Amino acid sequence: VDVVPRQKLEINNIVALDRIRESMQLDPSLPWTETLVVPYPQRIEIDVHDDLKRELAFYKQALHSATAGRALAQKHSFPFTRPADFFAEMIKSDAHMQRIRQRLLDEQAGIKKSE
Amino acid sequence: EAESSAPAAKKKKNKQRVLMLSSRGITHRMRHLMNDLEALLPHIKKDAKLDSKNHLHLLPELADLHNCNNALYFEARRHEDLYMWAAKTPNGPSIKLHVQNVHTMDELKMTGNCLKGSRGILSFDAAFDESEWGKLTKEVFTHIFGVPPQARRAKPFVDHVLTFSLLDSKVWFRNFQIIEKDPLQPNGPPQVSLVEIGPRFVMTPIRIFEGAFGGATVFSNPEFVPPAVVRSAVRREKGERYKERKL
Repeated sequence: VDVVPRQKLEINNIVALDRIRESMQLDPSLPWTETLVVPYPQRIEIDVHDDLKRELAFYKQALHSATAGRALAQKHSFPFTRPADFFAEMIKSDAHMQRIRQRLLDEQAGIKKSE
Repeated sequence: EAESSAPAAKKKKNKQRVLMLSSRGITHRMRHLMNDLEALLPHIKKDAKLDSKNHLHLLPELADLHNCNNALYFEARRHEDLYMWAAKTPNGPSIKLHVQNVHTMDELKMTGNCLKGSRGILSFDAAFDESEWGKLTKEVFTHIFGVPPQARRAKPFVDHVLTFSLLDSKVWFRNFQIIEKDPLQPNGPPQVSLVEIGPRFVMTPIRIFEGAFGGATVFSNPEFVPPAVVRSAVRREKGERYKERKL
């Protein structure tokens, strides 16, 4: 029996993609504070399977965006830094943060023990 | 009537609301990922699970009922594979992605924290601008993952960054807390550093459709291999090895 080779059909309709994007995209004249998008001018080219290098590359990207975003916020006189007396609900609860801290302490204790 | 009531000379605003829901059969990890996204993005409206996997055309109507102009639909298959649909409703486009390597915020390794509902900076790497589908994906993600300023429950400060990086033709998602103080010199000059908050996940684009949850395919990823095919290949290889041993 002959195996019928199944070839995947590649579709990349550039004209349609461009048209769709034009039809839905946000007004480019919107102030930066409406979207807070900070593009990273580099592309990441590293070995995907090297976890350490990959995460470092993501960290660098985020750090670049954070610093650039802070500068942009200052330019737009947009509040960025949270004042020390502003208290509000956090995304991770105090109990969760306590567990994280406990784990870190346990790990450190374990390292000390093995030394 | 909606069109006629919108005044033309109003100040321009980025108005986004996202309806998020899942199919039936999601696992705990997928459910936690959805909860994380809901906590992170205050303009998300969560709805009950969709009963049918074959009637996705109901979703734009459902989004309209909730006054949403975006939809994020998580589809679980075989209780292990997770697919995400990111769509603009009601007119499209919609992007179907395969979600892998999910780590939620509950995991204790990620020590960052941020205000609930603060608006995050969105960071896209340069690879998104190199292809037409990348540009479209960037635009859709800007609508869905960017918290609009007037979102209810949004906090007025910025303390985290959401990064999207295109690597190995997959979109990698990370979320970092921005720390502006040097812990060793609390009174020194502000020094920006980051701590990861989570969640983490990787998305492989599969297809982009012209409409919302349907319509013509305008992009398909030739490199995408369905997870079931990967698994069956692994099993077949094991079977071959066994056969050789028996001979």
